[in-house]
Amino acid sequence: MKNVVIAAYARSPFTPANKGALMTVRADDMTAQVIKALIAKSGIDANDIEDLILGCAFPEGEQGMNMARLIVSLGELPISIAGVTLNRFCGSSMQAIHFAAGAIQMNAGEAFICAGVESMSRVPMGGFNYLPNPELYQRYPQAYMSMGETAENLAQKYNISRIDQEAFALLSQQKAYMAQQQGLLSDEIIPIVSQRGETIAQDGCLRPDSSAAGMAELNPAFSVQGSVTAATSSPLTDGAAAVLVCSEDYADTHGLDKLARIKSIAVSACLPEIMGIGPVSATQKALQRANLTLADMDIVELNEAFSAQSLAVLHDLPIAAEKLNIDGGAIALGHPLGATGARITGKAASLLQREDKQYALATQCIGGGQGIATILEAVS
Amino acid sequence: MTIEKIAVIGAGVMGSGIAAHITNAGIPVYLLDIVPKDAKGPKERNVIAEGAIAKMLKTQPTPFMHRKNARLITAGNTEDDLEKLAEVDWVIEAVIENQTIKQELYQKLDRICGPDTLISSNTSTLPLKILTADQSDGFKRRFMITHFFNPPRYMRLLELVSSTELDQQLFKTVSDFADIRLGKGNVLCKDTPGFIANRIGTFWMQTAVLEAIENELTVEQCDAALSLFGIPNTGIFGLLDLIGLDLMPHVLNNFKQVLDPEDRLHSITEVPAILETMIAEGYTGRKSKGGFYRLQPDGKAKVKQSIDLQQGDYRLSKRFKIEGVSRKPAGLRQFLEADNPLSQYVWRVWSTTFIYAAELIPEIADDIDAVDTAMRLGYNWRYGPFELLDRLGVEWFIHKAQAEQQHLPALIANGKSLYRSESGIPEYQDTAGSYHPIQRAEGVLLLSDIKLQKPAILENASASLWDIGDGIVCLEFHSKMNTQDPDSMSLIQQSIAKISAEYKGMVIYNEGEHFSAGANLTLLAPAILGGDWDTVKSIVQLGQNTFRALKYAPCPVVAAPSGLALGGGCEVLLHCDAIQAHAELYMGLVEVGVGLVPAWGGCKELLGRWLNLPKRPGGPMPPIVKTFETIGLAKVSRSAQEAKELLYMARTDAISMNKSRLLADAKARTLSMVKNYQAPEHPVYPLPGKSGWATLAVGIDSLHKSGKASAYDVEITQQLATVLTGGDTDITQSLTEQDLLDLELKSFIHLVQQPATLARLEHMLKTGKPLRN
Repeated sequence: MKNVVIAAYARSPFTPANKGALMTVRADDMTAQVIKALIAKSGIDANDIEDLILGCAFPEGEQGMNMARLIVSLGELPISIAGVTLNRFCGSSMQAIHFAAGAIQMNAGEAFICAGVESMSRVPMGGFNYLPNPELYQRYPQAYMSMGETAENLAQKYNISRIDQEAFALLSQQKAYMAQQQGLLSDEIIPIVSQRGETIAQDGCLRPDSSAAGMAELNPAFSVQGSVTAATSSPLTDGAAAVLVCSEDYADTHGLDKLARIKSIAVSACLPEIMGIGPVSATQKALQRANLTLADMDIVELNEAFSAQSLAVLHDLPIAAEKLNIDGGAIALGHPLGATGARITGKAASLLQREDKQYALATQCIGGGQGIATILEAVS
Repeated sequence: MTIEKIAVIGAGVMGSGIAAHITNAGIPVYLLDIVPKDAKGPKERNVIAEGAIAKMLKTQPTPFMHRKNARLITAGNTEDDLEKLAEVDWVIEAVIENQTIKQELYQKLDRICGPDTLISSNTSTLPLKILTADQSDGFKRRFMITHFFNPPRYMRLLELVSSTELDQQLFKTVSDFADIRLGKGNVLCKDTPGFIANRIGTFWMQTAVLEAIENELTVEQCDAALSLFGIPNTGIFGLLDLIGLDLMPHVLNNFKQVLDPEDRLHSITEVPAILETMIAEGYTGRKSKGGFYRLQPDGKAKVKQSIDLQQGDYRLSKRFKIEGVSRKPAGLRQFLEADNPLSQYVWRVWSTTFIYAAELIPEIADDIDAVDTAMRLGYNWRYGPFELLDRLGVEWFIHKAQAEQQHLPALIANGKSLYRSESGIPEYQDTAGSYHPIQRAEGVLLLSDIKLQKPAILENASASLWDIGDGIVCLEFHSKMNTQDPDSMSLIQQSIAKISAEYKGMVIYNEGEHFSAGANLTLLAPAILGGDWDTVKSIVQLGQNTFRALKYAPCPVVAAPSGLALGGGCEVLLHCDAIQAHAELYMGLVEVGVGLVPAWGGCKELLGRWLNLPKRPGGPMPPIVKTFETIGLAKVSRSAQEAKELLYMARTDAISMNKSRLLADAKARTLSMVKNYQAPEHPVYPLPGKSGWATLAVGIDSLHKSGKASAYDVEITQQLATVLTGGDTDITQSLTEQDLLDLELKSFIHLVQQPATLARLEHMLKTGKPLRN
């Protein structure tokens, strides 16, 4: 079977929804800019790209129609590139990578752009015309449960204290701030130019002034008696991310970088009311398929939807702190739903190179009760 | 000449408040102040004006009728931006009360501004003749005093001081602008110290303070007793706390310097020792740690304290209630005649104020109507001093005052009533004892004047119908707080029958402080308490049928609300063809506060407005969500401008800034709709039914779990969701108005039977405030 590699990774800055600099930028516009920059950065001949696979959790309004195909035109890319928009909520753009990997191994193309985007400012979570099935809502309301509530459920089930959640969030903030200060994020960020001509080049969600005392003062955000607060949740975020996925042969022939090889992939499902635990089973499946153990993983990107959710996963998947989200996670950086999967997979691949390590895991939980995982290995 | 751009110089409380109010009229304005001495760099040169705008955006009650109005203010400074004033039509100077600073500024303005730019001062103390001394003739031709009251958005008085040199066309342009666009009640004053309102107001306040101290009364006693006479509930000491205690020594000292020693105010200008102590200790009123009243320091619970005027220490403030005194003239006379220290105190305060005001005619104003108008609009008195005296009875007053050997000025001494109505025309008395008609400005139409001329066409205990000429009638509510009840409903129905046959159109308007506070809960309560659900149901249906009849009346119906229009009062308005609103309109469907949903067509009408809004986001949910949020959160507009944003008012509805012009504007609007009038078409409602309900239910559940909605809020809003999503319907079907009304009724009857709704209703009736249970 063909080997599949990640050849390049780029993302927009991530800024807070409804107040950050990207709130005035349409999702398709920011994605087109990221993809154009990714293509330029990678050196690939764009005519060789088979398909643009784009993840988006609320593909309606400005994110509607088949956004992927429209971005091909918007970005003035070769008209021969096909486009598909897919939705697996927060796992959407990691799923895009999985689809590309499968296609390459089926000899159904050599190079794919796998991207994701969410403007949570411009298309609200839930979309504009959310209409649940009333019978299902009555019979099985957890199918529609809010994400914050699922985090509270995990905090209870795993007996995770508020103070532990806050310590986890504070650490994420500190890691992200250190990475930002040391310039470790700047390589991956593509400055976005708004319609008004402003250039947006920096992440905006970070709260470097966070303190344990400040966090302790916040009210619970989702449940009066609960422990999850705004500080221990990932913020609503605007942003886009993309990776170039191609066969290893293609990369070699065309002299492209090979950040990492995709070793195995998996999706899994769990109860919707504890959707945050999804990464556990997905990771276990992926490890088994790669014939590896958790201990073999040198780098882990675990999406931080919530502190409580991450800590619950870590309870079942003990991962050493020095391997986990080393440049910070979504609590600090932000979580534009459709874009996160491409970010953490691209990030894990980049970190394998930067840190000169062998194996990496990127995994995330998904609303509705799912998990997704990707195992990467260094290309020696 | 028109006024299209204005500048205000001086970004203090008054200057910035005036600038904000100018933006409420949709007019762009420069707001300039000095460059701070410690300004570093170009970005800091405008910080005073910029800071004032930022502060106003946080001030409550808000100086802006809409936050976005702030964008019409351009901040600047008097060093870099004065030249820009060449393009403005009116410059309002509101700088520090310093003659030299003002005069130097005027010389610069005279050079920069075009010849037809009016320059006015907002001075409250400096006479016009001093301000214009040594200025050019050209300057005097375009200078006057325009004295606003604080806060400029809410206080309607504008004192105007003109001169013989002033260009009369300029004066007319600016005074018309202030009247029509800023909504001010213009009062022409003589060029005398403190003009009208502050001259009399200061005398009244200082008398009240000195007499309270001398007679060893408490601040609560004085405030409660004076409030019986139609002054705001803050009373006298609460008012001083609002104004700022530290201002009083300046004001008193200024009057002492400029007034004749024979003047009654001159002789009471000493600052009481207790006031000096309070100011020295930093108790300057509400802007600081407190004044005559304060909140107990360091206490977590809000405990109100008041100062002991004798001892100077604070103690628990106990509400002082005066029982059994009618506010009608006979009751007030009886109170004033009573032999107790409080009654004697109030008599001294009012009797000296009446006499002082009478002594000042014609020194400060040509006639008593100007003084009464100034005190009503500038101090929010319900009656000016002469109106109050007239209500109490001039002869009664003379009798009581003469018993105390008080010297009475001629205006009062003749014993004739100060106002009268002659052949339906209201008249006032001059100092010589002759009567003259009260002049109304062109375009001002008052129902109170019309009522003097002819009897009502229809009337009952809650409402009346008046002929206001040109084939238009005016429906007036006049129950307590103008609440809606079967009588008002009956009169609406009779009025529709009447106008259909005999008239061209109808205005719904009244001159109460508030258009309508909603349904009369007191009338509904016995049926609810008695579990008489048939009666409750019939009252709901009466309202539904009445308001629907109003909507489909065969001729145009225009409502002209002002003040509060809540619950049922809001629902009346939603059923009219158009609204001509006073700018100060506090409109909202607040039924959830008493555990109910709007059921007189309020849900149906507001939803219809969102459904039919051009350019609204597509799909079935956005209009439902907007309506749900507005009713579910009981949103009340803080202005007519906000009411438009909430769609309580339609985009095509209009706003009158001046309350006195509201009836005339509404009448004109009605007349404009008469020709080819067609009643609205019957709308249909495509609604998503249970799927949409589930959408809202998921949101309600999250709000409840996060503590933002109580368990009973969930029940109420789920009922609201049922109405707004169309109950058991499907998106492929369309509902009628009657379907929506039936859903409103069903939810109302369900909720009204719940003990928690009963608790909310009882709490509202008892305290006037909503209960969260």
